[in-house]
Amino acid sequence: MKEFVDVWILGLGLATLTYGTPLILAALGGLFSERSGIVNIALEGMMTAGAFFAIYVSVQTNSWFFGLIGAMLAGMVLAAVHAVATVTFHADQIVSGTAIILIAAGLVNFLNLTLFGSEGSPPDISSPWKVGPADFRVSVLVPLAFLAVAGTWFVIFRTPFGLRLRSVGEHPRAADTVGIDVARMRYTAVLVSGALAGLAGAFISFNVDSYTENMVAGNGFIALAALIFGKWKPVPVMMACLLFGFAQGLASRLGGVGWLPDAFQSPELLNALPYVITLIALAGFVGKAVPPAAVGKPYIKH
Amino acid sequence: MSVHRMQRIAAVGITVVLAGVLAAGCGKKGNDNGGGSSSGSKSDGVKVGLVTDVGGLNDKSFNALANKGYEKAKDKLDATGQVIESKSDSDYAKNLGAQVKNGSDIVVGIGFLMGDAVKDAASKAKDTDFAIVDYTYADDKGAWAASDNIAGILFKEQEAGYLAGALAGKAEMDGKLDGLNDAHVLSAIGGQEIPPVIKYIAGFQAGVKSQCGDCKVLVDYSQDFVDQQKCKDRALTQISKGSDVVFQVAGGCGLGALAAAKEKGVWGIGVDADQSYLGDHILTSAVKRVDESVYTMIDKEGTGDFPGGKATVFGLKEDGVGLGKIAQPAQQYQSVVDDATKAINDGSLTVPETLS
Repeated sequence: MKEFVDVWILGLGLATLTYGTPLILAALGGLFSERSGIVNIALEGMMTAGAFFAIYVSVQTNSWFFGLIGAMLAGMVLAAVHAVATVTFHADQIVSGTAIILIAAGLVNFLNLTLFGSEGSPPDISSPWKVGPADFRVSVLVPLAFLAVAGTWFVIFRTPFGLRLRSVGEHPRAADTVGIDVARMRYTAVLVSGALAGLAGAFISFNVDSYTENMVAGNGFIALAALIFGKWKPVPVMMACLLFGFAQGLASRLGGVGWLPDAFQSPELLNALPYVITLIALAGFVGKAVPPAAVGKPYIKH
Repeated sequence: MSVHRMQRIAAVGITVVLAGVLAAGCGKKGNDNGGGSSSGSKSDGVKVGLVTDVGGLNDKSFNALANKGYEKAKDKLDATGQVIESKSDSDYAKNLGAQVKNGSDIVVGIGFLMGDAVKDAASKAKDTDFAIVDYTYADDKGAWAASDNIAGILFKEQEAGYLAGALAGKAEMDGKLDGLNDAHVLSAIGGQEIPPVIKYIAGFQAGVKSQCGDCKVLVDYSQDFVDQQKCKDRALTQISKGSDVVFQVAGGCGLGALAAAKEKGVWGIGVDADQSYLGDHILTSAVKRVDESVYTMIDKEGTGDFPGGKATVFGLKEDGVGLGKIAQPAQQYQSVVDDATKAINDGSLTVPETLS
């Protein structure tokens, strides 16, 4: 009984949060950016940079807090590149995003080897506080991610800033004519996006207290999918991320249980399960997702 | 507009993820312990042409270790030559050809990604010898499907796994180390069900059983070599089921399993490289000495007994696999490792390659 509770209740609950939290943070980042009209497929790259710099700064300063700041700044630097390319120079947002993903992967792996050498980061580093009861301890970033969901909802739907942000994402020309600085709004949104993606990366590396190459492993793209499934709304986006996290945790626990037929326990099949569950649940029940009208289109002021 | 955009996002996403998976899949970590015992006879400087795969020289793994074996040959055997790093898969044929033109006596290709390129290059340059790490052209019946100037290099991962398992099984039976419970459960996490991984785990299982008959070894596969969380999550499940020794056979992903062991105060066992630097919770590591194998090939080229037309298998006896550093509290069980080593080396013990 204790084993059942440990594996299927506490363990699965923790796994849902651990897989889901970086997705939530990154997807919220994507939400800010896309609500302002800028596609940010570079979340993956910003997460990679965040994952590395969280560990690097934490090692250098012996403080996880500065590690988080470092991760956010790293994400924001890449986001700034994206903003300059897409907002100021009207570059294709997908091309810029792809370039940033590739640059981040190469640069971070280079820095990792140069700064940490062949053994990687040192094993004992300052890691974020763990909170919660003894059997259910999670990183302090987990409650922070849920606060970020509430905060994002409030900012986007209940503040003048949010209204302006949405208006430049829906109809930048109209926003411009009423005196909203479209470029400035978009810069702000993309930078916030980078900070959140950096934080998401920090969660991934702090979860295991080390950075290894390619450890973000496609989470940035899953976050983008969650953003679309969640229809660019904070709470549904969060639910999509948690559903995916839950499915990942479930798949990881179904290998080797006695009561499933062998055919369903093939690791290859179980590996696909999270994607299948997510697709069925979301595609089946969510309905048509309509993006912000101006997303992906550069705004050229006349 | 939305459909078009999502198609583009999907295409880019899939490409990047695939590229990552491919890059990760070909990189397997090797050990950092340099020297072994086999010092060959001095030759008049074999000319070596090393060609890395896309992992590059700083990959902490096959390429870095192969280069280390080459450096050792330069040092001890007066070998000369050069290293060419491949930037993409399409560079292999070109780089191998360049090493042939340089007048290399032996061209070493690193990693199974270069299998086809080495085969082609060797069929065109019959006067040059080729060696390839972690690859064989032998089919199921043992027939060599490539020219005779290629030597394959394989490892007996199961022997390293066995030693680690014997040590862990003995510790489990004894039950005195901190962090051990009395459930007699150990576990292994593999990256994928592929031969090198299965061999490690099969050896581990046999080693455990040799010391602790009623011990159970839980086995799970993460289907991943890079995403640490996947291995950590699986290890946490195994630990919840009573495992107090977790053997990782999943490269970078497996570091997450070792992190889980650390977090829960149980033991972890490293793989390929000596991972004792990760902390006091590393019981030992099952290591694979790519450097030693490359050095041996260069040495044999110099002495004129280059083993072409077959795959040379590096086991414990050849110093091709072994154990890394054993954690201080477990060093009292060293004799178990020594006995198993002796039995494997004198042929009285054959370690199984498949799970029982």
